Amino acid sequence: MIPKTTASAAATRPTMIEFREVQKYYGDYHALRGITATIRAGEFFSLLGPSGCGKTTLLRTIAGFEDISSGAVLIDGKDMSNVPANRRPTNMVFQSYAIFPHLSVAENVGFGLRRDPRSKAEKAKAVEEALEMVGLKGYGPRAAHAMSGGQRQRVALARALILKPKVLLLDEPMSALDKKIREQMQVELMKLQRELGITFVLVTHDQEEALIMSDRIAVMFDGEIAQLADPETLYRHPDSRRVADFIGVMNFLPATVTGESGAGVSLDVAGLGRLDVAPDQVAATRTGGEPAVGFRPETLTLLYEGQPAAAHEAAGIIDEVVYYGDMTYYDVRLDGVDKPVRISMRNVFGRPVLDVGTRTRIGWAPGALVLFR
Amino acid sequence: MAGPVKTRWTRTEAFNGYLMISPTLIYALLMLAAPLVMIVAYSFFKDGYLTVIHEFTTENYVQAWSDPIFRAILLRSVWVSVLVTAVTVGLAFPVAYFISFVLPAQKKSLWLFLITIPFWTSYLIRVFQWKVILSYNGVINSVLTGLGIVDHPLQMLNSVGAIAVTLAHSYAPFAILPIFVSLEKIDRSFLEAGQDLGESRFMTFWRVTLPLAMPGVIGAVMIVFIPTIGDYVTPELIGGGKLPMVANMIQQNMLKIDNKPLGSAIAVSAMLVVAAIALLFLMLNRRFLRGPKG
Repeated sequence: MIPKTTASAAATRPTMIEFREVQKYYGDYHALRGITATIRAGEFFSLLGPSGCGKTTLLRTIAGFEDISSGAVLIDGKDMSNVPANRRPTNMVFQSYAIFPHLSVAENVGFGLRRDPRSKAEKAKAVEEALEMVGLKGYGPRAAHAMSGGQRQRVALARALILKPKVLLLDEPMSALDKKIREQMQVELMKLQRELGITFVLVTHDQEEALIMSDRIAVMFDGEIAQLADPETLYRHPDSRRVADFIGVMNFLPATVTGESGAGVSLDVAGLGRLDVAPDQVAATRTGGEPAVGFRPETLTLLYEGQPAAAHEAAGIIDEVVYYGDMTYYDVRLDGVDKPVRISMRNVFGRPVLDVGTRTRIGWAPGALVLFR
Repeated sequence: MAGPVKTRWTRTEAFNGYLMISPTLIYALLMLAAPLVMIVAYSFFKDGYLTVIHEFTTENYVQAWSDPIFRAILLRSVWVSVLVTAVTVGLAFPVAYFISFVLPAQKKSLWLFLITIPFWTSYLIRVFQWKVILSYNGVINSVLTGLGIVDHPLQMLNSVGAIAVTLAHSYAPFAILPIFVSLEKIDRSFLEAGQDLGESRFMTFWRVTLPLAMPGVIGAVMIVFIPTIGDYVTPELIGGGKLPMVANMIQQNMLKIDNKPLGSAIAVSAMLVVAAIALLFLMLNRRFLRGPKG
């Protein structure tokens, strides 16, 4: 994995985009419910959420394609209320790429240079450089509609970046690509972003993609930002059960609160027994539902016969085995719990994959638990 | 039944294809190709009094093209058709644009339906209505004199302008529909992309919408231009017979003067002129017509 910018370096950066209480109604439908957030300069920022959560609408308010009902969107300190899309310092890579079919690749990339004062030859050189940057050197004279999906995306990227925008907006750019090309593009986009230092705002419904690429992620549900944090915080310390459920796999076990003090919360958890969690293991958002502890599949370990006992152990029966090659997922029904929990184990040479129905022990660490209530 | 597997020809896809188009094909051969061949053949025959002498000659073409009246009428026909085409397509584009880009999706079919309403009455009646509207004692003149805007009724009939207005109205739906179809096919994200790349709405229209709508515009031009040049009814009724177009001249030679070879030569000449103009127009616009395989 390519190391991302460290959190401390990112925090000192100036603000590039600021949302102030942004509201958006489509008739009676409340699409954006008071979004307040800032995106920092040079940051790779993702808007993540299920379809219909308002992430694309929010992106389009930056581009200027969507009027907001109230509130303000500021780019580089300037209020964009009366600035039309064609005068904003942003450029967009559309979900459909929107490559003009009547123009060649070079004409597409050079589309935005019409009023550029440079000479024709200089512009042609800039187009060639932009194409080279996205790995399409020499493709200029080709017909745009003859390009493949991945190539179209590169054309769209070159066409946007040639204008040196302050912010590059990406609307689900990878959703139409197949897995291999998508993974390749993810890495290339991250490299490009770091080299250029431009603020990237990515809209995606793919939590994995958001985790891989972003410096920070805003998780959105129902027109609101549920949590805004860096990928690791989102993964390890989700604010709510909904965020936890949306990002990665999270197991939940019902819990009863038996005591609470400044040092943490004492719990009685089904299948795991009595335990204590520290204050930073308690999810910030209280939803008022039945308390539950959540944990990721990789925080549990399947203990093989003969392995020494772990500090914390539970027993259960293997309910389902999903073999992934490098990994195996085990769904284990813990004693006293109906719903199985998912455990992921790296497959190591010489260690057999266990069968369904096998009685097993699992080891767990109390520090990896998150309490939702 | 055992034996070599042999598909009978009547079961093949090709046969079915021919079967399906055969009524149209037979009709086209009998009603279009055969008369056309006959007209071309007649144009090279000699004219006898009340008969046609079946001897090859090019005299009819010489006679037609050396006749200044024929040249003037042909020129007028071309001029009227160009004018009608320009007016019709020019007015059809905003209508098609409005239906495609401004109206909400659920209202589009209603509007297209409304546009076809003029077709519920016969062509002849529609042309005659314009005579009522434009005549000396007609609707427009009554209003203008009644309001005291003009002292004397305007002479509007029997003019190229009146012919153009009438034909433009008749052919409007033929122009609106192909332009509408090509506008509908334009991905709306292209327009956003145009603005995103720094162009105003107008420049986006000029650089993106219009070039992408050109196949429809070219189709509309063809559909309007080709039939109007041969229109017969409108010059007769609206032009009062004083501004004959080439179709009126053909009719006169064929039926009144009974010079079928000359009439045929004029018809073939007019056809070739139309074909030449149409091909030239297509040539000039060929960059808009490249298919998606380019």
